[in-house]
Amino acid sequence: MVYLILAIAFIVLVGFVYQKYKSLLPLFASKSSASFHNAELVKTLLNLDEKSFDELLVLYKMEFGAGAARYARKTYQKWKAGKVRPNRQTFSRFLVHLPKVMSYDLKCEVLRHLMEEYCAKDKYELTVYTDDWERTLEPLVRKIIDKPYTAELPAPIEEKLRWLAEGEMQAARDILRKSQVEEGKIAVSMLRQEFENIEKLLDSTTGKRKVTHKLKFPYGTITLKIKRR
Amino acid sequence: MEDEKKELVPKKQSLFPIQAEDIVDNALQNLDEKQAREITRKAADEVVRIAVEKRKAEYRNSAAQEEMQNLIRNADLLDKSVGDYKINSTFETASGTTNVEIRKSKLTSANIIAITIGLAVLVLLIVFLVLRN
Repeated sequence: MVYLILAIAFIVLVGFVYQKYKSLLPLFASKSSASFHNAELVKTLLNLDEKSFDELLVLYKMEFGAGAARYARKTYQKWKAGKVRPNRQTFSRFLVHLPKVMSYDLKCEVLRHLMEEYCAKDKYELTVYTDDWERTLEPLVRKIIDKPYTAELPAPIEEKLRWLAEGEMQAARDILRKSQVEEGKIAVSMLRQEFENIEKLLDSTTGKRKVTHKLKFPYGTITLKIKRR
Repeated sequence: MEDEKKELVPKKQSLFPIQAEDIVDNALQNLDEKQAREITRKAADEVVRIAVEKRKAEYRNSAAQEEMQNLIRNADLLDKSVGDYKINSTFETASGTTNVEIRKSKLTSANIIAITIGLAVLVLLIVFLVLRN
């Protein structure tokens, strides 16, 4: 009887701990076993913009026939939603064979998606005041803007997708990196004006105010809680 | 010069107006002519894309500024017409997303504490009177 009560108490405790911390579980999950799965890599490809994806399907039809292309088009939404997992053949067709016939632009788009999906991302959360935000934020912003220069795809992906190591793709990476650094610079170029707007809002309103601002960069985010002294 | 020092991202570091060559650098080494042509074209496309992104960011910035002005006006109107209100607003700016929550209530935390203390005193008083009788 005592053991039964202890077992029930243990199950309840495990259930409670699971409910409380289940949101943290993905943080501890092994990235290499989950995210670099062939099916996941194919799903990354399915997030290409419409024009690029159409181009991809035209190539697919040319290479693997109308029937295969029809199936791919029909199953595309199910792959995307995760209802059907793309098999090894689908992965191989999309990410090993097709790159050989893809246009350079399309390969660059695929590379951009892979990098934005799989390169490590930084997340920062901090509290700043309207009179000290610049001093607090500047070193962090500089670091995150320059991050594309050091961003690398995980080794298992590079091993699976050998075409990424070709000379023209290395050049594509350089272009992409510089372009992403520029995107970061654009994002912060109007930050002073944005803070002026926020300060004005805090000055001109009464009551309890909560202001948060999320800065978005290609390889990370900075979430700010903005306060006024 | 002084202004430039103050910039979060110094103007001299900016690639605007950037040239395709700026982002190709030495990438063309060891590639054949066709590949080199494609890469140069891609770099030029990226320059255009970045210019478009910059324009979009400027647009988002000015739209957010206008929306914040509207929010200030609306909060001011509510301030004058009603006692309790809560406003939640989200603005897409050049650098990301701003969330603003403005809440005004007659029932502030100080009021709640005062009411709680008042009620406690009242209960104690009633208990005291009941027990005395």
